[in-house]
Amino acid sequence: MDEAALRFWLAQASGDAGLRITALTRLSGGAIQQNWALDVEVLGTPQRWVLRTDAPAVLAVSHTRPQEFALLRAAREAGVTVPEPLYLCEDAAVLGRPFFVMARIEGIAAPHRVVKDATLGGGREACVAALGRELARIHAIRPPRADLAFLGDPPADAALAAIASLRGRLDAAGTPRPVLEWGLRALERKAPAPVPPVLCHNDFRTGNIMLNAQGVAAVLDWEFAGWGDPHADLGWFCAKCWRFGQVAQEAGGIGSRAAFLAGYGLPVDSARLPWWELLATIRWAVIAADQAARHLSGQERSLELALTGHMVPELEWDVLAMAEAL
Amino acid sequence: MQEKPDAADLLATAREVVLAELLPALPPEKAVAARMVAAAIALALRQSAAPPMTDARDLAMLAGEIRTGLHDPGTESHAEVAGFLRDHARARAAVSAPKALG
Repeated sequence: MDEAALRFWLAQASGDAGLRITALTRLSGGAIQQNWALDVEVLGTPQRWVLRTDAPAVLAVSHTRPQEFALLRAAREAGVTVPEPLYLCEDAAVLGRPFFVMARIEGIAAPHRVVKDATLGGGREACVAALGRELARIHAIRPPRADLAFLGDPPADAALAAIASLRGRLDAAGTPRPVLEWGLRALERKAPAPVPPVLCHNDFRTGNIMLNAQGVAAVLDWEFAGWGDPHADLGWFCAKCWRFGQVAQEAGGIGSRAAFLAGYGLPVDSARLPWWELLATIRWAVIAADQAARHLSGQERSLELALTGHMVPELEWDVLAMAEAL
Repeated sequence: MQEKPDAADLLATAREVVLAELLPALPPEKAVAARMVAAAIALALRQSAAPPMTDARDLAMLAGEIRTGLHDPGTESHAEVAGFLRDHARARAAVSAPKALG
């Protein structure tokens, strides 16, 4: 990280030529993006920011930092609890790749703590109800939106598009996975009819939501957002694979599904949720296999990525049961 | 004959050192890494003790057949393929995540 180049750029962006960087440290987590805790003094006032940029090995499926910045702005305008987006640098000459700066929010996102620590989130049922409300605000963002033009046209049929996308990723990975194909085929046979598209976060789950003692501190990780079926986000949040061992708490391992859906408030076709939960389980299995492939290929040697690959058989075991029950 | 202790014994002993001696002495931010090392050793141990996996089928061909609907419910092969997939998933989960099998 070229701190001098960063300081110079931030000084221009903030309009304070004397801006000082007082601390800059890499934050853990973020397999796809790099996050840096950035403390500065602007016009004599200490500010606590996060600098977000791409990791060396970027997944082609995720948005660029400028696109993520636009999504954060749209979400904030819609009343979603997100860190305030501050400055965007699209000039790769400054740090070698684009980056943006946002407010640093204090809170806990680590999933195993979030599901076990009842002091977080302002009460378990209140927390999932609040998360339901956050999701409803995200889903209130509807196409067309000039500021989100990079998302492209909404899919004519989000369910079939999701199946096609996962098959494409399986083909690209090259490892035959008949169990996942079995699940995808079951989904294809029972695909729900399309509904009007909304903005889907596409990674709204425990681990990507920061909580504090009062409630939701921030909805994070917008890099997969896109137009789609709102039930996709509901299913992703409720899928068993994102409950982090607290299987009885169907809403993200935190609280009840009923409280979550009550908070969501918008009409939900609950018959669609098992379909999207199976899709979620297959999608996570495909991502997990891809993460292991990054380790195996030498692109990014990592024990965490290696162990993630070993989640696939368990997910496949769940896929068979869910496909049977669909 | 190889000198003893063998790979399984060494791995199990190393795992005990990680969990009992290293983990308590590490700063909190390194605890996750230590637990991952212990998990990887446990997984490698299970894999070395598991019966060799011989894929009785051409998995690429089977995957393609499933995608085109050749083994859909109502076909003659459906139950047999479902049974094979259960065995295929169970055998791998027994190594990768035995707790998931209950």
